[in-house]
Amino acid sequence: MTDRQPSAGGEDLRAQVRQAVASLEKPPRHAGRPATTDLSLDEELCLHAVGWEPVDLVCGISLFSVPSGVWSWGQGEITWASNAFMQAFAAASNRIHHDCRRAGGHGVVGVRVERAIHRHHIEVTLVGTAVRPVGAKGGPPTAVFLSDLSGRDFALLEGTGWEPLGLAAGASFVYAPRRSVGTVMRQTSQNVELTNFTEAIYSARETAMERMQRSALELGGSGVVEVKITEGPVSFAGHAVGFAAYGTVVRHRGGDQRLLRPQVVLPLDDAVQGFEATSLRGE
Amino acid sequence: MAGPAAALPDPDLPDPEGPEGTDLTAAADRPDLPEAASRRMGESAFTSGLTVPDFAACLQMGLTPVGYVQGSCVMQWRWYGYGGSPYGLYGQWGAPAGQGGGYGQRYSCPHGFVSSEHRMWGQNMEQPWIEDAWRSGFGAACGRMVEEATDLGAHGVVGVADSWRPLTDLGVLEFHVRGTAVRVEGEPVPDGSRAPWTTYLAGQRLAKLIEAGYAPVAVVAAVAAVRVWASCITQYQAGGSTAMWGGQTTGSEITQVAEAQMAVRQLARERVRGLLDSDSLHGAGMVTTAREIGEGDADLECILRGNRVRRFKEFEALPPPRPTVRLQ
Repeated sequence: MTDRQPSAGGEDLRAQVRQAVASLEKPPRHAGRPATTDLSLDEELCLHAVGWEPVDLVCGISLFSVPSGVWSWGQGEITWASNAFMQAFAAASNRIHHDCRRAGGHGVVGVRVERAIHRHHIEVTLVGTAVRPVGAKGGPPTAVFLSDLSGRDFALLEGTGWEPLGLAAGASFVYAPRRSVGTVMRQTSQNVELTNFTEAIYSARETAMERMQRSALELGGSGVVEVKITEGPVSFAGHAVGFAAYGTVVRHRGGDQRLLRPQVVLPLDDAVQGFEATSLRGE
Repeated sequence: MAGPAAALPDPDLPDPEGPEGTDLTAAADRPDLPEAASRRMGESAFTSGLTVPDFAACLQMGLTPVGYVQGSCVMQWRWYGYGGSPYGLYGQWGAPAGQGGGYGQRYSCPHGFVSSEHRMWGQNMEQPWIEDAWRSGFGAACGRMVEEATDLGAHGVVGVADSWRPLTDLGVLEFHVRGTAVRVEGEPVPDGSRAPWTTYLAGQRLAKLIEAGYAPVAVVAAVAAVRVWASCITQYQAGGSTAMWGGQTTGSEITQVAEAQMAVRQLARERVRGLLDSDSLHGAGMVTTAREIGEGDADLECILRGNRVRRFKEFEALPPPRPTVRLQ
């Protein structure tokens, strides 16, 4: 990925190990708030390469209640559950924003999004690393960004002249209407599509995707990258299906479009084609 | 490259009589170290928990494995101290939450007296005795591992792996911390006055850390525990009944539980920061568990651990990465 070659493992690295161990005899040189991060070292190096550094581990959590009985009977969208998801996501985002600003970060990368759908509540947890430009002084900007991109992907995005703005999410839970008794009887011994479920999935999908796109526009973005999707039945509700999607909202910084122009490489370490020893005997 | 400690007796390895004439194999001054462990470590063969690639990378860095070191501790906690009863120490007439100096929040009931079963109060309260017990167990296991490494005359311990799990009975937890003790080639044998450094990293990941300008200092771990005694509102929300009242069309946030979830993570982060002394924490892992006890009532636990590292040199940032496309 870079011109810089790691030291080939010779005396240079050994000298650095000795230097590192010797440094432990002295108190730390750096003073101030210690940095904490859940990024890997590779991710941190990628961030440094594009002028960013980790500041602190930050998080945001929210739980919204869902009343009894809403999962079992009804028609169309299960509004209570959809609203609970959207509100929990928004509240968790607000909290991680606040946490980031308090830590002095200009944005959060590598956000892990955990969602838990329970019968009586929906929980959203966001955990990531607040970052800032290397050596940034002063407080955070008024608008900090959220992104679930890894350090590598963040660096790549920077290289193309685009910037992350925030996380957009959309969710929808929909009833799959029960079939009539006559239809159930008629279809008992047939291989047929259950159109009530197919239609419910389509309905949930379109509503959730539309919500995510609307959320992206509200953030001022022009698109969403790395969209993750979860869909399927709700474990505790036999006739409900859910669809949830989230991703990082991005916007071009302005100016000309920058192209990465990747260099084509031909690795010389291709795996050797194996052969069966028996082939040597003509078998 | 010369082999590791397999070539014993090695002049670089600790003299059984010790550098200062101290008998390193004697357990008299180290009550935590069983005699059998002293005997095992006195053998000439080295042991290591490293994978072959990590082993090769350590040799490349000039780190010689000297022994697979381990520490264990089994903890029992049965005493649930201040605030640990099902109704807290003071219940609805309670003293201010968090009176013990830790985190605490009170939640009052807006209804007044309804019935004897109506929860007229609620509180989130930090559980310091759980934190103390966990810290004691992990600290003892880690300390015993370091003690073995010190006995072997190691400069550090790499590839640390830790685990904890319930043992046989509720309230009994076993802790294990293991790693490979290493010595830095060309450095004098430590005199034992300073504890060896420790890190979860090994092999190429450790090499990259050092090339990036960080020295491993220690593995650090902290736990925070918060107990949620649900107020009536939280109970209704958790039971799915409150939002139906008053014709609401949207749910409401379960504020008490959300605040407890935020607090338990915040406490764990503060604890870890307290262990860093201006160093940094890298590769952190945060694990949060919630044990539901009743409607809204829960025990929350957050464990945060990672590598404490110290910058020992300024390093040049890598040039902007150059994207490549592989031809297969």
